[in-house]
Amino acid sequence: MSGPGSSGREGGRLDSPDVTGTELVLQLRSTLDRAAELVRVLESNLATLQRLGHGDAAESRAASGRRVEELEQRLRTAETDVKELASRLVESEHQAGRLMNLYVATYQLHSTLDPDEVQQTIAEIAINLLGAARFALLLRSEEQGGCEVALEEGIGDDDPLYAGGVYSGGDELVDATLEDGVLRLGPKGSSPVLAAVPLRVQNVIVGALVVLGLLDHKPILRAEDRDLLDLLSAHAASALFAARLYAAKDRKLRSLESLVKLARRE
Amino acid sequence: MSGKVLVVDDSKLMHKMYEVMLRPYELVHAVDGRDALAKLGENPGVDLVLLDINMPVMNGLEFLEALPSHALGPPPVVVVSTEGRREDTERGMEAGAAAYITKPFSSSELREVIDRLLGER
Repeated sequence: MSGPGSSGREGGRLDSPDVTGTELVLQLRSTLDRAAELVRVLESNLATLQRLGHGDAAESRAASGRRVEELEQRLRTAETDVKELASRLVESEHQAGRLMNLYVATYQLHSTLDPDEVQQTIAEIAINLLGAARFALLLRSEEQGGCEVALEEGIGDDDPLYAGGVYSGGDELVDATLEDGVLRLGPKGSSPVLAAVPLRVQNVIVGALVVLGLLDHKPILRAEDRDLLDLLSAHAASALFAARLYAAKDRKLRSLESLVKLARRE
Repeated sequence: MSGKVLVVDDSKLMHKMYEVMLRPYELVHAVDGRDALAKLGENPGVDLVLLDINMPVMNGLEFLEALPSHALGPPPVVVVSTEGRREDTERGMEAGAAAYITKPFSSSELREVIDRLLGER
């Protein structure tokens, strides 16, 4: 129902009695034109927004791709670094192990002035650190005209050259080492010797350590064993000679002291 | 890692070697199997035993046989020996060893075994 004064055509202009039909049409056209213009603007804005939206996503994807690539490169570098560090760690541990062996061997060789203990230490180094099962320690002896077998381990009937406590020559590798003081590794030619290590005291060749066989589980002498052989060459004889010298002097001193005591009693 | 390790060996060189190699660990030293049993009695907190086989008085295998009757919950024993044949290893493991290392050995090899066994306890 319409109230009083209501014509059923609402809106100021349409209600205006001055507005003719033509004007009304013009006004409607104008309104429609503005609406159309507005729609175009909105469509244009929407298209721009969509275009901008698409652009950002593409750029964002590209940036993400670059970031992933960069991270992957850094990961590859880190993995390479870790591998190199692990390799260096293994090498360092290996080196530390070798130095420990050398330190302990040197320390123990010079820790006593008892000749028997020094000989025992040489044997322990040969067995426990080198893995030798059969070996002999030869020391030049003026009295015997050859070498005294000061120490032997695992030497049996197969090694007659070292039997009886004297080595009088006969193994080409050992004889050459005793002659020129050069460390030799075998076996070579007719010699079954695995290593002939010259023993020096103040650059004089005083004997040799002869390795004839290794423990069952140690097939060959390794590169790092060379360090131990060099150490034995330089330190074993000097430690043994120092201990023997000290023991001899100590014996003489005790004899003299006994004589003095005896003389005082008289 | 830390712990108390009983070292059983008749070689002075090896005792010195263990001192250098196993610096963070507290070491108890014994020169043969019988000495080791006595040291275990005096040191109930021993976490692990490093045992040589060839020793005077009481060898390593005899020590392993005597071990259960001397201690409650005996610590793991690592045999460290120059005897490296398969039958030697089997004999040691059958006698109760937790691991078997042959001489000469590297410090990393020894520490790996010790760290593993102490980690399991």
